[in-house]
Order: sequence, then C-alpha cells, then structure tokens
Amino acid sequence: MVNYGGDEVSALVIDIGSSSLRAGYAGDDTPKAIIPSAYGYIPPSPSPGDGDVAMNEAGSSENAGKAKSYFGHSGPSIWRANMEIGNPVSDGLISDFGPIPALIRHALEDVMRCSASEHPVLITEPSWNTPANRERMAEIMFEEFQVPAFYIANTSVLNTFAAGKGTALVIDIGQSTASVVPVVDGFVLRKGLQYSSLPKLVHAHARHLLTAPNPIRPPAELYPYQLIASKQPVEANAPPRYTLRQDRLAGTTQSWREWYEAREVEEWVQSVAGVLDQGWNDQVVQHRQPKQYEFPTGFNAWFGPERFGVGEMYFLHSPQLVAGNPNIPKHIPGLIIDSLKACDPELRQVLISNVVLTGGGSLFSGLADRLGAELARSFPHFKIQAPGNPIERRYGGWLGGSILASLGTFHQLWISREEWQEHGKAIVGQRCK
Amino acid sequence: MASAADVRSILSLPSTSSSAAGPSQSKKQNAVATRKPEGISRELYSLIGPSAPALAAQLAKPRLKQKPNLGGGGSVKWEWRSFKNGARSDSLELGHWVKAVQNPSADYHFAKYNVQPTVYEWSQDEYSRHLEDSEWTKEETSYLFKIAHEYDLRWYIIHDRYQYPNGPTRELEDLKDRYYSVCRKLIRNRTWAGDEASKNQLLVSFQYDKEREILRKKYVNSLANRTSEQIQQEEALYIEIKRLEQNERQFKRDRENLLRTIAGIDSGLPDVVEDDASLIIADPKKKKLKGIDLDIPQTPLLTAPVMKRPPALNKNAVYDATHCIIRNEPPPTTPATKVAHTPAYLRSYKIPYPKAAIAHKVNALLTELGVSHSRLVMPTQASCQHLESVIDAATNLVELKKVLDKVNQDIEILKNQLELREGGDGGSVADADLDDRGETAEPEGEDRRSQSVMSARSTRSRKHSRRSMSISSVDTAVPTSTRPGTKRQKRM
Repeated sequence: MVNYGGDEVSALVIDIGSSSLRAGYAGDDTPKAIIPSAYGYIPPSPSPGDGDVAMNEAGSSENAGKAKSYFGHSGPSIWRANMEIGNPVSDGLISDFGPIPALIRHALEDVMRCSASEHPVLITEPSWNTPANRERMAEIMFEEFQVPAFYIANTSVLNTFAAGKGTALVIDIGQSTASVVPVVDGFVLRKGLQYSSLPKLVHAHARHLLTAPNPIRPPAELYPYQLIASKQPVEANAPPRYTLRQDRLAGTTQSWREWYEAREVEEWVQSVAGVLDQGWNDQVVQHRQPKQYEFPTGFNAWFGPERFGVGEMYFLHSPQLVAGNPNIPKHIPGLIIDSLKACDPELRQVLISNVVLTGGGSLFSGLADRLGAELARSFPHFKIQAPGNPIERRYGGWLGGSILASLGTFHQLWISREEWQEHGKAIVGQRCK
Repeated sequence: MASAADVRSILSLPSTSSSAAGPSQSKKQNAVATRKPEGISRELYSLIGPSAPALAAQLAKPRLKQKPNLGGGGSVKWEWRSFKNGARSDSLELGHWVKAVQNPSADYHFAKYNVQPTVYEWSQDEYSRHLEDSEWTKEETSYLFKIAHEYDLRWYIIHDRYQYPNGPTRELEDLKDRYYSVCRKLIRNRTWAGDEASKNQLLVSFQYDKEREILRKKYVNSLANRTSEQIQQEEALYIEIKRLEQNERQFKRDRENLLRTIAGIDSGLPDVVEDDASLIIADPKKKKLKGIDLDIPQTPLLTAPVMKRPPALNKNAVYDATHCIIRNEPPPTTPATKVAHTPAYLRSYKIPYPKAAIAHKVNALLTELGVSHSRLVMPTQASCQHLESVIDAATNLVELKKVLDKVNQDIEILKNQLELREGGDGGSVADADLDDRGETAEPEGEDRRSQSVMSARSTRSRKHSRRSMSISSVDTAVPTSTRPGTKRQKRM
C-alpha cells in the first residue's frame, strides 16, 4: 500500500507546452493524452464556408464568437477550408487563455473520457510564469472545471523530480524555448533562471538552409501533403515534378500553411540535422555520411556538412551573426554560464554535477554528447543525466508531476475548493512557491 | 490360482515358515517392496530394475516451483475511501484505495511527516532590550524570520526569494548572521526550562561565524574561478611533487640497499630510514660548518644521530685495556654524513696488500717462509700487526733485491765499456759516469740515454736499441720512495 511514500488519489496531471499538451493520471509513467497545443479555427467570416465538413469531428467545439475550433490529432493537421491555426502558448507561456479550457476539455473529456470535477488537478507552469497567469489558470480550473483541488507546479522542479533528484541544473530544450534553471531542494533559484528562444533560431536557420537559393540544389518548396495532387519520382537535387491541388489552394489560409511548413522543417531537422560531438571541424564533417531526405513535393537531396551547421547554432553563434542581430538568443553554454554565475559559488559544483537534460529539443541528434564536450571545457567535474527513453525526455515535466501528485506527503499542499473560495487568488502564490 | 500363503493371509494366519512359501510369492513381495519411480516407463523399469536410482531421478518429471505463500490466502478486499489529511487546515476530502481491513478512523498515514521547525518570536520589549541592530529594522527582522520559516531554513532559497521593500541588498551571510544571532540572544536571555548542558548545546547549534563564512566563500570562489591554465599548472605541479617524492623514496631505498650490500647486514647500520630526517635537519648546519672551517672536529650533535650509537660512556684507556678494546678514530676531515660512515669491518680485511707489480714475488717469498698471506688463523690485533710487518719486510726485501740486481747489471755494463775503451782509445771514465748518473736521475731524458746506449752498443740499430732500453727502464723503474735513497748514495 505504502510504496515509496506513494498514495494515489487519482489526480490528473496536465502539462501544457508549446508543441503539445500532455494529460494523464498521476502515478502513470506516460501521459494518456498527448495532443498538439496548436488548434484550428474557422473564424466567423461573412461567408461561413462549409461548416458541415467538421460536423463529425471529435475535437470540434463551439468557441466564443461562434468560431468553430478543432483540437487534437484530427484538429489542425487536417486541411479545412479557411481554417486558421492558433497556438495559445508562445515562448513557453500561455499568452491566450481563450482556447485553453477547450483544449483541456478536449484532452480530458474526449481523449481520457474523465471529468475534471472528480479529480484533483495538477498543472505545470514554466519557471518564468507570471503570477497573473497562474492565478488565471487556477480560476479556470476552479470555476470552469469545478475541480475539488488544484496545484500548479514548476516544470523545472518537476523535471528535477523526474530525474530522481532534489537539486539539479535543468537544461530544458523545448520547441520554442531553451531554459537553464537551477533547482535547489525542490525550489527554483529565480536569480539563476535563464531562458532564450534558441530553438526558434535553430528552426529559422534550418528553414533558411532549405528554402534559400543554393548553388548545389534548387530551393525546397515546403508544400504539405494535403496540397499535393500527384508527384513523380525524380533524381536527387533535380527539380520536383508535382501538381498541386488547385481546389484547395484557394481555401488555404496563411497561418495554416505556415504552421505546416514549420512542421516540414521540424521533421527535416529531426531526421537529418545533427551536431558534431566535439565542436565544428571541417575534416570531421567531410567524413560524416550525408543523409537523404525527401520532401512532400517529391524533391529529394543529400545533405552533407550543412546538416551539422544547424546544430552548431545551439552552441556557437558566429561573430557576424552576433554583430548582425544584437538581440540574438543566447546559446546553451552562455545560458549555463550566466545561470551559474548568478548562483552562490558553493552551489555551482553541486549544480554542475547534477545536470538534467530534458525536453523534446534535447533529442536533437548528437546534442547530449556535444553538451558534455562543452561542459568538459569549462568544468573539471560534471555529470549530465539525460534519460535514454525518448518519452521520459520529452515529457519529463509531466512525469515529475505524475510522481509529485501521487506522493502521500504532497496531499497537504493541494489548494482545495474551500480554500479557493475563502482566500481567492492570493492562495495560489502562497501555496505554490 | 491362490497359493497356500494367500489362503493364510486371507484367513490372517501367520505363515508357517519361509521355506513353505512358494517361489511365485517371494517374487511378488519383492516387486511390491520396490515401487517403480515416477517418470520412468514400465518397460524400461523392468529392463534396468531398481538398480539405477540416479537415472530415475533424472527422468523424474520436472515440477514447477512452489508458489510462495504470502499470507492472506486469497483475495484481499480493497475499497475506495475518502480521507481527511490531518496536516491540512481545511476540510478537503480526497479518496484513495485502501485495504478494507484498515481502520477507517485512523489518522492519515502521511500527516506525521508534516513537521514544522520551531520558530522564534519576540515581544517589543525583548527586541528593544536585546535585539537592536543598527543594520536591521524590527520590521525587516520580522520579515526575515517569516521568510526563513516559510522556506524551512533553506538558506539558498531564502536568499533567492528575499525581497524586502526598500531594504538594502543582503548577502546570504548577512541573513544567516542576523537570524542566528537573534536566536542566540533569545535563548541566552530567556529563562531556560532544561539544564545548562542542553542550553549550551542549543546555543552551539546556532553558532555562526560570519567573517569566517565570508572568507570561506572567497576561497571557494577563487577555487571555482581558476582558469584552465592554472588548473593544468596546478595539476602538473602536483604530479611533479609526486614524482619527486617517489624519486626520493627510490633513492633512499637504493642507497640503503647499496649500503647493506657493500657493508653487509652486520655492518651495524641501525636503521637507515631514521637518519633521513636528521640528514635533512643537519644539512644546513653542515653547510654552515663547512663554510666556516672544515677541520672542526665533528660535534656530537651531528655525529650522534648518524652513528646511532650510545654515547661513549667508558671511553677511557683503562677500560679499553681491560676489555681489549681498540678504538679506531674516524679521520676528522670526513663529513658526518652517512656516506662517510665507516661500517664495522674485520680487522684482517685491512691488512695491506703488496703492490701488484711485485705481489707475486712477495707472495712467493712468503710461501717460501711458510706464511699464508691471505688467511690468518687468529687475526688478533697483534698477529695482524705481525703479519703486516712481515709483509712490509718481504716487500722491502724484494725491492732491495731488485735495486741490487740493477746495480749489479750497471756495474757489468760499465765493466764492459771499460774493456771496450781499454781496447780502443781509452775514453774518460767520467763520461760514462755522467751517463749513468743521467740515466738514474732523469729517466725521461731519452735522447741522452739513447745516445749513451748508442755509444754502448754501437753494433745494434738505433731503433732496436731504443726499444730495448725503454723496456729496461720499465724494468728498472724503482719506486719513488727508494729513488731519493739511490740519489743520495750517488752523491755520497
């Protein structure tokens, strides 16, 4: 019954990130529902379009302003005429609370088939979340979902717990933000908190690499499958031969195309791009195998040294680049050094010996090895803990929440409905430190 | 068909005798006594019989491991119960699965882990009497205690979250120092219920030395801020030191081994290890001594640790004479290091050997006399001295004989020359005498000598004579000690 201090009260854990929303029962090792954070909506335009397309969609729900919204796996990724794509999360923070209840409702009720009013709910927040944001989240959970108890926990702390530690330097590389957060005894040291939109920079670099004119190959066109009627196989680096679905082109919105093109780039990055484990070296790069990649248009090419240039952005910014944009996001070694500098000198050694590498972006090929090489340059003793299991790496925050919410000693920390009604929003800041 | 024994057994009558039993019956009984083991076929068993138990054991059917009995013995009933947490101040009820046998009214299992540290509070009166501090206001002190309590005295977190409006920036040491000093003052000035020892113990637990902590942090900082070159240098130096130490040890061991091999285990070297330290200590002194005067006799301070001998208590002539002790004083000029240490030796080792050039002649002479030079039956000091003098005498004798032979030869030569001269124009005797003198006084004057030889043996070729003369000069070379004697003879 009492296993490792665990006492499950069938709490729900919800972890909202830039790319996906994870929800599941506390005590599980994998979230039950993983749905994209992005959602599609058809704005109530003068011409409402053909609304009957989405009649039987599982994730459809009526949003404010009569806009039809589509969530989940058959939400934004399906082509619908005039469908726009929105994402409530930007830079790791929830910037638009409008679609959040619907998104959570979709995950809990349509995917998990449970009611939030019967379960205590633990929600995660990034370390740089604002007090207003967390209070708004508490309000949504108590007022709209009628949860019996609520708690909001920090993803960095939860990642530390997921790694089985109390003190750690959490390096979290997500889809839009990379952060380095020192956690001591389960608390974030706010002074050492560092984050930047580095993944976005890497993404932009990759996109530029693919779409910019190139002497070796024609620029890749990032049309998604949904817009391609037919294609023929072509040689590598040859211009693609395909026909577009003209019937759909007119109804395709700019935001949907951008979202899908970003997905294509993301896919290319995940399967082709990498980083050298010992820093940039022209000789080593020449010896690496090139990789072939085929885009939905049928265009395919072999990517040699350039695919390693993409990963280099995580660790090194060329002087020209820095000179060109003074507000360039800090690279990972810079984040780590700035973070440690802000910490007590006594803590630095403790933190650097407990580095936790997490987040889906950290699965970037060769990134963990390179991080080790970078740290070895500055620190004589360090240890990186990076879960080998991709699920644990991607959903570390959710996993930590699952652990925390199933602990017997944690149950005294829940903000109960009664407390919420009694103290109001102030209780959130008091309880969730 | 039933035998007689069957009938008896049916009627439960005792069998008459073993001989009465038929052969068929005894066979049957045998078969019953040894049952066929499991897992072996009947045909095989009838072939091999009961004589192969090992085989039978191997053929036995494998059985599954017994399932462990975990008690309970059957299904356990669980039920979903809602519970209240004693550590909570509100009436939140959460539910969990528990065994139905558990007491529903028991306290929540995990409530007992909710422990709060004791928090110190003070009245206005106490504050103004004991806790006044120019650096801190009462409000800020209260804020510090509130936040310290809130974060359970996790100082790094407290320092991180410490944000007193309009207050000066506080370092971690400032916060800790203030907190602990207030606690100490409160404990000291309040009436204490327990005994003095526990109070002191509590006070010690609140001890905090701010200056030292700051200094320590400075050290940690400088340690962390080393550049990689510095670290490398440090590492290299460390390795160098290790290497030097190892070399030193190796050197000492080698020296010790060498000393033991040369001087022997019985040389009275007490322990070489010990005097390494004294060596190092003595070194600067020794240098100083050398600088001043080399001929200063060794002070006992320096010699004592090296020799490692008890100080010569009975160093007087009478004692020595009665105990037949003869002391050999070390030469005063040798430095008092171990290198100059004279180990104990056998007296007979120190008997001088004759020079190699004449050794065989001396030995032959001694053998003629019946004295064994190399071995003494009883090498007492007296007999050693005797042997020494005998060897000396023999050496002298041999050398004298050599000189004599040479002089005889010279006389012979001169006689021959004289004869020749008398036969010729009758040259001056003085010339020959001069030649002779030149030869003895200046053996290096080859030209003159060769001239004289030329004149002596004119029939031979010049080259030939020179060689023969050089041979003879080697032959007749007398030890330097004897030369002055001959010179004097000549002059007389």
